[in-house]
Amino acid sequence: MIAFQFVTAFLMIFMGLYAFLYKRNLIKLILALNLVDAGIHLLLISLGYRLENGLLPTAPIYTGYETLKGTPMVGPIPQALVLTSIVIGVCVLSLAMALTVNAYQQYETLDVSKLRRLRG
Amino acid sequence: MRPQNSDMGLIVKTMARATIPLIGIFGAYVIVHGHITPGGGFQGGATIAGAGVLFLVAFGLSEAKEKINKNFYSVLEGIGGLVFLTAGMLGLGVVFFYNVLWHKGPVFNGEAGTLLSAGYLPIMNLAVGLKVYTGLVSALFAIALFRRWKK
Amino acid sequence: MNVLPWVIITPLFGAFSMPVISLLGGKFRGHWAVIVSGLTLGIAAKVFYTIWKSNEILVYTLGDTNPIGNGVKFPIRIIWEVDLFGALLALTVTFVSFLAILYSLEYMKHDTGLDKYYALTLVLELGMIGIVITGDIFNFYVFLEIMSIASYALVAFRNDTWEGIEAGVKYMFVGSLASSFILLGIALLYGQYGTLTMAYLAMKIAENPTLISKVALAFLVGGLLFKSGAVPVHMWLSDAHPAAPSSISAMLSGLVIKAGGVYAIARIIFGIFNPGLHSYLKAFDMPALNLNTLGWIIIFFACLTLVIGNAMAVVQNDMKRLFAFSSVGQIGYILLGFGIGIVAYGDKIGEIALTGAVYHIVNHAVIKGLLFFIAGAVIHQVGTKNLNELSGLARRMPFTTLSFIIGAAAIIGLPPLNGFASKWLIYESSAMYNPILAVIAVIGTVFSLAAYTRVLFTFLGVESEKVKMVKEPGNAMIVPMLVLVIIILVMGILSWQISDKIMLPTAKMLEQLNGEYIMALLKFIGGG
Repeated sequence: MIAFQFVTAFLMIFMGLYAFLYKRNLIKLILALNLVDAGIHLLLISLGYRLENGLLPTAPIYTGYETLKGTPMVGPIPQALVLTSIVIGVCVLSLAMALTVNAYQQYETLDVSKLRRLRG
Repeated sequence: MRPQNSDMGLIVKTMARATIPLIGIFGAYVIVHGHITPGGGFQGGATIAGAGVLFLVAFGLSEAKEKINKNFYSVLEGIGGLVFLTAGMLGLGVVFFYNVLWHKGPVFNGEAGTLLSAGYLPIMNLAVGLKVYTGLVSALFAIALFRRWKK
Repeated sequence: MNVLPWVIITPLFGAFSMPVISLLGGKFRGHWAVIVSGLTLGIAAKVFYTIWKSNEILVYTLGDTNPIGNGVKFPIRIIWEVDLFGALLALTVTFVSFLAILYSLEYMKHDTGLDKYYALTLVLELGMIGIVITGDIFNFYVFLEIMSIASYALVAFRNDTWEGIEAGVKYMFVGSLASSFILLGIALLYGQYGTLTMAYLAMKIAENPTLISKVALAFLVGGLLFKSGAVPVHMWLSDAHPAAPSSISAMLSGLVIKAGGVYAIARIIFGIFNPGLHSYLKAFDMPALNLNTLGWIIIFFACLTLVIGNAMAVVQNDMKRLFAFSSVGQIGYILLGFGIGIVAYGDKIGEIALTGAVYHIVNHAVIKGLLFFIAGAVIHQVGTKNLNELSGLARRMPFTTLSFIIGAAAIIGLPPLNGFASKWLIYESSAMYNPILAVIAVIGTVFSLAAYTRVLFTFLGVESEKVKMVKEPGNAMIVPMLVLVIIILVMGILSWQISDKIMLPTAKMLEQLNGEYIMALLKFIGGG
């Protein structure tokens, strides 16, 4: 059985790809990129969540009280990976926003199909 | 179109005055406890940057221009990166990023779960927090300052 | 003490201290960047010499002396695993970056925001060095993104011109989508095998090659073909490389599409999905991946790339755009070499092809660096890059024209220069494997010859109005060009010695017939 979070993750990825291919507004393209990224993050996070002996896993972070004996832990590595990936996503997002502002100044439109003066 | 230097009016300004310190304190808490609770430098820095955005939105650009010095923030960002790099280089006698403070250091070598533990991690969290806060505020400020082209 | 971490620390320190340095005054920023990148070049040379001398893979663990966790038998820490291929690429990257930064001292003199320019250039260099030394697949992704984000920002650096902005937007969206594909591939591999260390991943995949690993391989290679500018998706490259400042164009065309494109493809195929390991498994009737199909796919794209890229170069009027399309064509040759290296794995032919591909990476980095420096000198002195307005430049800028003749002859592959040796190895192996491939490769070269001859005739033609008053650029631009010309001539004279002494061991180490890349890690597991 495929867990529903994987289905959701791939659904998000494909929604992002659809928007990336068929939308023309620059802001929507940025959102599409973020949607693809968010789907991949969901996929990674859900990889760390695994049931063992029918028990729900707990977060691995030390919070001052003991975890229950025999309780499995969620994988800590996917969380670190997703955090890194989110930071990268923020960088890409802010750079894309800055470029979009500049593009609007130069072309006075957000339609990406109008950005084709470079065909030469 | 609304004039460039407008602020948001009395209610928003008063609320902002009340909440900005609280957001800042919460962000500082997230940074300082980064190694023992969920969170860390990036999350706390982003929270404090939220306070910066609130300031920018509530008080308008002209007020923010007086308070925020771009060059100073740029230098602070560089210093954050340098501190992170130095913390990684402390254990260079063994290998890069070796946690020498935790293994045999004079400070930050307490029992796991206490505040003064985990070696270089608190230092790195502080450095990353500084870098993220200054970086995000600089980026937002730069976008807000962007030349108005309709005039 | 191991010098390897310093190759990352030095440019990182240079980039972070740039805002502090710029407080001292505008002049120091450029000099600081030159000093930092020069130091990095020295360290990379030391690393390369160490590995070349010992002919062993260097494994460096971050955070502890041993990559294996306490009480477990698998690697849990980030490792850097440098073989000769990575070290050679690191040397090339630092060398061309050093010259590009030296060149920008004069070329970028009239621009503003130079502290950001130099910081981003150092970060770009850092990202490429990280890609070629890492042995952890997520670490590879992080360095790839560092490199990509710096290059998006640098393409759009002159943000008051529409050209830079448009190219930056296109480059950014295509590049981010490709990065997402690569991340998806990594996520699938992690989900299936539960490890991120490349060498350990190779073992795990050999134990249990599933459909997921094939899908992940497709995503990884697809994303990296995007990033290296192979033909169906080369449009961003021909926009982005001409629009960047010329010193950055030299780094983008010479280094970025190699380190973040073809190097990564080679590392993933030969390091993680080793064809030898899988054909060995197949000989024992065990489940294995068939990498010949992948090899033929890469050869197909390579042939398409080298014909279309070089053919498109012929019809361009813009000098930098012509060079950019020529880069697409040359990437085709490198991919052809790697493709033949995969399908003829373990053979003499495969070894020759890999040698040619590795050699061509280095040669093309040097030559394309020189050509973009020349284009930058022409833009800086004349103010246009339109070939129709540049006729008769030879009398006013004799040194630049002479350098161009040498660079063009080298990239076409004329015998006394370095481009000849690498192209000859690729032709030879493709003719031995399948003569049709050799014919296609020669067709690409004919187009390339036509394109560069056209530029040469423009330079030597009747003097036009625009070039009447121009003169040679200043010393900071002449010196990098001169150094590259000398390197091309020396590498041309010693080409077969270099091929035997450096490129052949590199290709053998990349091919790793005995699985050296995995063995370097297994040493730790056996001892722990």
